[in-house]
Amino acid sequence: MSAVYCFHCHEPVPSGTSFQLEFDAKQRQFCCAGCLAVADTIISSDLADYYRFRTEPANRANAIPKELEAELSSFDAPQVLEDISNKQGGLTELELSISGMSCAACAWLIEKQLRQLPAVHQVNVNSTTQRCHLLWRADTTPLSGILKSLASIGYQASPFIADQEEQVFKLELSRYLKRLAVSGIMTMQVMMLAVALYFGEYTGIDASHQGYLRWISLLLTLPVVLYAALPFVSSAWRSVKARQMNMDVPVSLAIYYTFLASAYATVFSTGEVYFESVCMFTFLLQLGKFFEYRARSRARDATSNLLKIMPVTATLLKDGEQQAVSARRLQSGDCILVKPGETIAADGQIISGNSSADESMLTGEYTPVSKSTGDLVMAGSINHDGLLQVNVSQPLASSRLGQIIALQQRTLSQKPAVLQRTDRLAKYFVERLLIIAAATFALWYFWLDADRAFWVTLSVLVATCPCALSLATPTAITCALARLNRNGILIKNAQVLDVLPELTHIVFDKTGTLTEGRFSISDVTLFNSDYSETQALNLIANLEAYSEHPIGRAFSSSLTGKLALEQVNIVVGSGISARFNGMQIKVGSAAFCAVKPQAKAMVYLSADNQLIAAVSLHDALRPEVPALVRQLQQQGYKLLMLTGDSSDQADKLQQQLGFDQMIKGCSPEQKVAEITALVSAGHKVLMLGDGINDSPSFHAAHVSVAMQSGTDLSKNQADVVLLQHNIGLIATLLQGSKAAQRGIRQNLAWSVGYNLIIIPLAVAGFVSPYIAVIGMSFSSLLVVSNSLRLLK
Amino acid sequence: MSVIYVLIPIAILFVLIGLAVFFWAVRNKQFDDLDKEGFSILFDEKAVANKDKQDPPAP
Repeated sequence: MSAVYCFHCHEPVPSGTSFQLEFDAKQRQFCCAGCLAVADTIISSDLADYYRFRTEPANRANAIPKELEAELSSFDAPQVLEDISNKQGGLTELELSISGMSCAACAWLIEKQLRQLPAVHQVNVNSTTQRCHLLWRADTTPLSGILKSLASIGYQASPFIADQEEQVFKLELSRYLKRLAVSGIMTMQVMMLAVALYFGEYTGIDASHQGYLRWISLLLTLPVVLYAALPFVSSAWRSVKARQMNMDVPVSLAIYYTFLASAYATVFSTGEVYFESVCMFTFLLQLGKFFEYRARSRARDATSNLLKIMPVTATLLKDGEQQAVSARRLQSGDCILVKPGETIAADGQIISGNSSADESMLTGEYTPVSKSTGDLVMAGSINHDGLLQVNVSQPLASSRLGQIIALQQRTLSQKPAVLQRTDRLAKYFVERLLIIAAATFALWYFWLDADRAFWVTLSVLVATCPCALSLATPTAITCALARLNRNGILIKNAQVLDVLPELTHIVFDKTGTLTEGRFSISDVTLFNSDYSETQALNLIANLEAYSEHPIGRAFSSSLTGKLALEQVNIVVGSGISARFNGMQIKVGSAAFCAVKPQAKAMVYLSADNQLIAAVSLHDALRPEVPALVRQLQQQGYKLLMLTGDSSDQADKLQQQLGFDQMIKGCSPEQKVAEITALVSAGHKVLMLGDGINDSPSFHAAHVSVAMQSGTDLSKNQADVVLLQHNIGLIATLLQGSKAAQRGIRQNLAWSVGYNLIIIPLAVAGFVSPYIAVIGMSFSSLLVVSNSLRLLK
Repeated sequence: MSVIYVLIPIAILFVLIGLAVFFWAVRNKQFDDLDKEGFSILFDEKAVANKDKQDPPAP
């Protein structure tokens, strides 16, 4: 096979096609008309720099079908636009979620392309979140014009509404950055002055100079303790009020006690100052918190595309006229028109039309359900091939989809609470530390040496300063998160690392999780010896390439060579016919091909009404599943399968894999009930799923894992998202969480052990504050480097 | 050594300016997407002037 790859998407160019374009004085080959058109647009708009500097190939560009163009223009209706955007004077502000972005050069390309439109005032593309912020004049260029302009360079964009939570996250992240900058820059300054003061101790320093340097350090430390350290104080205050001491209590105490003691020493020119320790401690803690927060907010951004599943627009039929309206405003009794490929916007009953609908989002069953007049359809399901007129029975909010989302919101507050282990330790530690410090002060003040009481107490506090202890968990978790992330596991809720080592039960969804979630060829029966299996499949694939039907996609991998077909004709709900080599070729149902139906076969191929092949399809098991199941069972986990599918495929899988328990035909409510029962029996439960029907049970379980191929809603709600099509990553996740727990234990053991040794010495007055600082820094360093091992 | 009475305050002034610039950059969302900005240097700005700069800043 000749290795020619598409210039645009780097996919192999099928033999027998010729899509060419000259660029940089060379003929470039393209795999399809779509890629060629996109490249042509990019090059002729003077944006060819994209090809010179991109680091990743683009996604394969599909030419926009006519229907999609019509769908885009439904966003232009004033009512719809009003629901998804903000007005700013004469300008309209909107967030777009863009799919097809592969590298930072894409962001540049999109910005450039949109800036060429005169109506666009401001455009800002974020390559990490794959979003585009747009400010433009909606009265001169409609939104569909902008979407089409993006489609012409190969990106699909859809309007997007960020949820409230995400905006709060963003604001908080910029606050973290500012605090980090203040504590970091001030730490540098104060440390510089501290070096001068240290040298002064040894070589002698004028009292006036020393006082001056101390005052300056005090001044520079003020913003750190009053601004950068505030989150610790407010968190500590909250925990004290709730009588649940957390790690922030000793942290704030250490920061403020050390600061006040140093300030006292500065004002009265006695004792020692530790401003640099205050600053450095605050900076290090902020740094850890910042990284953890950023990792989490990135994970959120990448997965919170909520609006995509909620139907946005609908075509309302009123007095025989079509009218684009916002799906949210549909009332019961309205009549809507649903075109092939569209998402059905509301629950209702079909008045006229025949089609099949994909309800997998709601039920988990992948086989399309055939629908005809009088049948009920559900909002959120996808209409495959026929034109439907639907009488709306429920507005979107009270539809089945709306109910599932509402169920999920309710379960959100029922998330089993996990008290963080370090917080338990902190509570124990802080109380004793405070008692010891108070006792030390009293002991020295009343019985030993009243003058030294203050400084001895300070060294007790500094030596036992919970730096190492408070760094122990966050650093280990941050490193573990980074490593899992590199392996393709995105963790949105760091608490899961705490729970995972104690896990007992793992609950799987079937469709899309254990299985591929799409059809593949399971069996081919040949009836005509003139054709080999490959030839027959290739013929089917050539015809099916014209179809958008999900069954057609099962054959896309069998396409081995392009054939010259003529008079291709698609018959909705039945099949495709074409002329090839003078024969009438048909692919589709048995009735369509005019042949006798075979057992189990779903797709037939006939030539001049003679049966050539019958193909049966199934939703194939992911190849890595049997090994994973065996491995997990060996490790002693109880495995459950809860599936919405009620067919016998579930039983077959159960026989093959041997789960501890299998329940089929589960509604989302039943799934929640099953998991809640396990949780209340005291088990620690992980739920792995991909569909909207799984997302309510995500909150019921301790840990929820979604697949990258899953629906946006499930990814948004899950604690963990697997970024690759490989559920074997579950084993990696469990292993990573155990490594993290081991790291945390080692860190805690070290810091507690260190404290146990240093406290008696400090109380006895043997530890000067200098040595206390060195000891504290050393043990913090040890803890941080131990955590860094988790990165490997 | 009395020069430090002058030099250190000047140094602090520079630190404050640096911080102010950083805060301004954060507020202008310059840290939202670090990958894209790294790329922008590779691309030549051709005839079309950057339009964003002529517009009033979004509130």
